[in-house]
Amino acid sequence: MKKFFTILITKFLRIIGKLVGKGSSLPGKIALKLCPDILSRVKLPPYIIAVTGSNGKTSTVEMIAHLLTENGKTVAWNKEGSNQIEGVTTLVLSKSTLGGRVKSDILLIESDERFARYTFRYITPTHYVITNLYRDQLTRNGHPEWVYDALADSISDKMQLILNADDPLVSLFGYERDNVLWFGADKLSTDTAYNDSVYDDGAYCPHCKKPMTYSTRHYNHIGHYACPSCGYHRHATDYTVTSVDLEKGKMVINGKDTIDLALRSLYNMYNLLAAYTVGSIVGLDGADMAHNLKEYVLKNGRIVSFTIGQRPGTLLVSKHENSVSYDQSIRIATANQHGCDVLIIVDAVSRKYFTSDVSWLWDIDFEKLLNDNVHEIVLAGTYCNDLAVRFSYTDIPQENIKVFRKIEDAYQYLDNDRQEYIYAITCFSDKGKFLSLVKGGSIG
Amino acid sequence: MKLLHLYHDIMNLYGDYANISALTRIFGNSSIDCTVDKRSLADEVDLRPYDFIYIGSGTEKNRNVVMADMQKYKEALREKRDSGTPILLTGNAFEMLGQSVTDAAGTAHEGLGLYDFTVTEQNKTRTTSDAILTASFSDKPLVGFINKCSEIEGIHSPLFTVQMGLGNNSHDKYEGLHDHCLFGTHLTGPVLIKNPHFLIYLAQQIAGEKASISVEYLTYENAAYQISLHELQQRKESTTVH
Repeated sequence: MKKFFTILITKFLRIIGKLVGKGSSLPGKIALKLCPDILSRVKLPPYIIAVTGSNGKTSTVEMIAHLLTENGKTVAWNKEGSNQIEGVTTLVLSKSTLGGRVKSDILLIESDERFARYTFRYITPTHYVITNLYRDQLTRNGHPEWVYDALADSISDKMQLILNADDPLVSLFGYERDNVLWFGADKLSTDTAYNDSVYDDGAYCPHCKKPMTYSTRHYNHIGHYACPSCGYHRHATDYTVTSVDLEKGKMVINGKDTIDLALRSLYNMYNLLAAYTVGSIVGLDGADMAHNLKEYVLKNGRIVSFTIGQRPGTLLVSKHENSVSYDQSIRIATANQHGCDVLIIVDAVSRKYFTSDVSWLWDIDFEKLLNDNVHEIVLAGTYCNDLAVRFSYTDIPQENIKVFRKIEDAYQYLDNDRQEYIYAITCFSDKGKFLSLVKGGSIG
Repeated sequence: MKLLHLYHDIMNLYGDYANISALTRIFGNSSIDCTVDKRSLADEVDLRPYDFIYIGSGTEKNRNVVMADMQKYKEALREKRDSGTPILLTGNAFEMLGQSVTDAAGTAHEGLGLYDFTVTEQNKTRTTSDAILTASFSDKPLVGFINKCSEIEGIHSPLFTVQMGLGNNSHDKYEGLHDHCLFGTHLTGPVLIKNPHFLIYLAQQIAGEKASISVEYLTYENAAYQISLHELQQRKESTTVH
């Protein structure tokens, strides 16, 4: 009876919550108070697919859900991205019958990295995708190895791991383990032989801590690595991006399935590859998936079109405290051959907690904005001076950089006759302040 | 000036490299000759010629690898400290100077033994905080961020008094380590960028009292510092129970 009432109350709270526009974690929180082991009392579908990692979780999960749904599967997934145990509990119970059975073919869970060990104490994923481990929210997460240790606590022997072979730290989860499927990219035309970022988390072997070598680098520490000392090396892949052409916007998986890209970035490539991998495991056809994913535009609001006066632009929602996320946006801006101006806003570092730490600005490859395609750079927000200091350590001419404390002033400035396309780069925490000023704000 | 950035690649977790960039720039703008040597695990360095030594923060595992490697510099480092050479250690780097670091599994790793303190780590809760710290050598407080998982017992000459943030251990309002011209602090990342007054002070210590240090260019740095200090003070007031 306890189970019945807990599910009933959760469903009721979820409906009320949706009506008043509240987040999806509160019903689960209350359910866990009423019945702490409720998740282990519910009968779950045969496929429980979990996705975690520093970057790309939400996008990957959305693409997997899209693929599965398009191919006739029913999927229960945490669309709102509430990815800690409370949000997952809300998801499971609201998709469950009152008798305690989740009716969908597949339960698809996006999980926070640090809290996965709590969630998966009650739910054991049958398939566990780990996308990457980057420097992300270090003011809370400590560092990638700290997150690695926390994630290791969430993995059990029974799970089928699905790992990014190109990430040496993620791949360590699969070291001397049998039930692992690997995804990754062959040497790409955009690769570099050496690390060209301001820091290098691939300099030393995560297994033995001796210097590691790369035969090719896709970006940062992502690439084909090998440790000459202990022999740890990139694993051969089961699902592989065999070629990618970012200019034409095409990627090929396993040498046969071509996907047309809506967002032309290597990061998007990995999300698509991870989704394709999961789809294949569930039994979907590669050609069908390539068709389903063709020019797929994410609906999670990470890419937003706008205009300022007569000037069109795109908001590239990036994550503060996450240099790889910024690097991704910088690559998109520098690829615009018609020329662009770039606005960067750092006003509140986080929407969830307070910090004034901006050390992460020094891990971002702002140097790469020294590019013929990038003309003017506008810095705004409470931490505009910290941004200006960071930019003063690049070779970008100071006269090309404008600094405004108020976002409104930056907006007024950008409402000018310049012909350049505008890229606005900022975080969830600050995007609303910008979108409230501009026209448009449509996704896509 | 000869600056040594030790373990530049493995102890660079929070943008710590920018401290060396800041010193290079202030000396450049002051027309003081300055060279930087970046050295790491594979190297064997004669510390004696250097006017300044810096080590930044690393993961616990990386710091332990470095600590084992640093045993070869133990005596040379002691001599540099005793002769008054400025040494800056940010994040968990200064933890290496004590007797031992006991990791979360309970294994004790041998420290450099320059001091009597001991370090104990855990791996369950990351201890982090924004910080406002005051010091006897500075009329302005320092701002920054502390990111650690350790408790230190037995430091008798701390660097800072904690106004906001974390001390060397949970029952202590003193932070860091200060001895001669050695500055150790759990503040992470670009401490010298965030605190232009500390940059000027340290540059003066390195170049000597008579050196003329140029400070006019630090406009954005000073503005950034003022805003951060203001934000932190506001935060401190709003979270203090009256």
